[in-house]
Amino acid sequence: MQDTWGIPGPAFIVGYIVALIVVVILAVAHRKVLFRGDRSARVDDLGPQQLAYLNGGDRLAVYSSIGGLRAAGALGTAGSALVQTGPIPVGVTPLDSAIHHAASGQIRTRDLTGDQWVRSALDDLRTGLERRGLAVSPEALKQARLWAWAAGALALIGVFRLIAGIQNNKPVGFLVVAVVVVAFFTWRLARTRRIATDAARARMRELRERHGYLSPAQSPAYATYGATGAALGVALFGAAALYDMDPAFAAEAEIQRAAAANGFTSGSGSSCGSSSSCGSSSSCGGGSSCGGGGGCGGGGGCGG
Amino acid sequence: MGIGWRPEISGFVAGLPGLRFAEVVAESVHAHGDLPDGLPALLDRGVAVVPHGVRLSLGGAEPVDPARVTHLAAVASRLSAPLASEHIAFVRAAGVEAGHLLPIPRSREAIDAVVANVARTTAELPVPLALEPIASLFDWPDDELTEADFLTEILDRTGALLLLDVANVYANARNRGEDPLDLLDKLPLDRVAYVHVAGGAEHQGLYHDTHTDAVPQAVLGLVTELCARHRPPALMLERDGDYPPADELTAELDAIAAAAGYPAITA
Repeated sequence: MQDTWGIPGPAFIVGYIVALIVVVILAVAHRKVLFRGDRSARVDDLGPQQLAYLNGGDRLAVYSSIGGLRAAGALGTAGSALVQTGPIPVGVTPLDSAIHHAASGQIRTRDLTGDQWVRSALDDLRTGLERRGLAVSPEALKQARLWAWAAGALALIGVFRLIAGIQNNKPVGFLVVAVVVVAFFTWRLARTRRIATDAARARMRELRERHGYLSPAQSPAYATYGATGAALGVALFGAAALYDMDPAFAAEAEIQRAAAANGFTSGSGSSCGSSSSCGSSSSCGGGSSCGGGGGCGGGGGCGG
Repeated sequence: MGIGWRPEISGFVAGLPGLRFAEVVAESVHAHGDLPDGLPALLDRGVAVVPHGVRLSLGGAEPVDPARVTHLAAVASRLSAPLASEHIAFVRAAGVEAGHLLPIPRSREAIDAVVANVARTTAELPVPLALEPIASLFDWPDDELTEADFLTEILDRTGALLLLDVANVYANARNRGEDPLDLLDKLPLDRVAYVHVAGGAEHQGLYHDTHTDAVPQAVLGLVTELCARHRPPALMLERDGDYPPADELTAELDAIAAAAGYPAITA
């Protein structure tokens, strides 16, 4: 029997896999370069919403703003829509103003990114960060996605070989698996999504260490840390911080709890908290091991 | 001048420039694992951290659990603490946990029990032990001594130091209808290692030492009276929950420092 295309089956598979590996390695290397960001960029002067954007995109930036406004008493919920409950505090960012203004018309959290002022504030926020080398620009993302074409071409070759092989009644088991794997990589490469550059991620990790007291594992006293603390907590530790701060409000405002909780596990938490699941505060942080029992906390509030 | 360190306000405590010492609940520190987040930074700064036990139950009729004593000793070494502290109270009996600190009767028998337990504890502790008398909402019917005599005898027999909680002194005096200054006059003030200042609230006619309210003016007045008699080496604000905005905590710390005649630690 003649080999399909004149290439023996096993040789083709090996060559195919090698080609896939080469494509993947090149894609990863290219992405490293594309997403590197500006090493010398600093995040110290970034506001909580900018940090939130780097950590979790538009959605977390909006949540961070909501967190700050809530802590300042300017936002509340009526049904499942956000409403104004107070005047806009002084010295807020354009995003805060836009959200507060949108809430005057009772808007749902998920519709906020559709509001044109909010949208424009978010766009400004993003371009500012891109200029500083902290956020990945759309052009860089587009370039990274080009590798999906390479993988796609490989997949196509595989499919043609598959068809030819079936017509020639050759065994195609391994080839099917290989094509599926390549198709998977094609899909992943096409779906490349990256917001923060590598430089930004490294700075964020440092910030999380420095502001570890805001981690939900510590059950931070948001009243003590104020509105900025609340916004920063959401920015660094995800939407879980908002649930920690004001669970009823967060639930009514339909905050997506899973939004960017990744920061939580990478921080240097206490031995109980460092590897617990993201989200709700661990029981070690606040209290059950302290005092005679949950309610009494430190020195036994009732008598100590 | 110091503050009770709690994870909920660890950021606030870390930001106090003049902080000289802090107290941490001994049971919240692992003897061999990671220290709670925020504590290592304080230790690096040179802040003295004192472990404060709450579950040893030194006043209990049963001998104190050796494992708990070992833990307290280990934590004290780990923190390089200058001393450790616990309460003259009991928290468990016959396997039942009370969940908070309960007063022991002021009887000779009880004194013997406390002294024995303290002896077992100090035998293993690498540092001196300070004992804190607690606030009680009631008195046992078999009380034989006054609070002052009771405390003095315990301190004399154990050689321990006194952790004077001014809020407890106030609470006890107020609930019994006595004058808190009487107690202050009779206590061996030269044995005071440090002082707790805390807030409370009145509820149904009784003053509760809640540690979750602002420090009342009367307690601050007591601090001044205490310092007029014998100024303690250190004082601290003890707050366990319902933490107010940072400004209020700062104001409280400053008020305590002012009442005691110590410099403020907030600036």
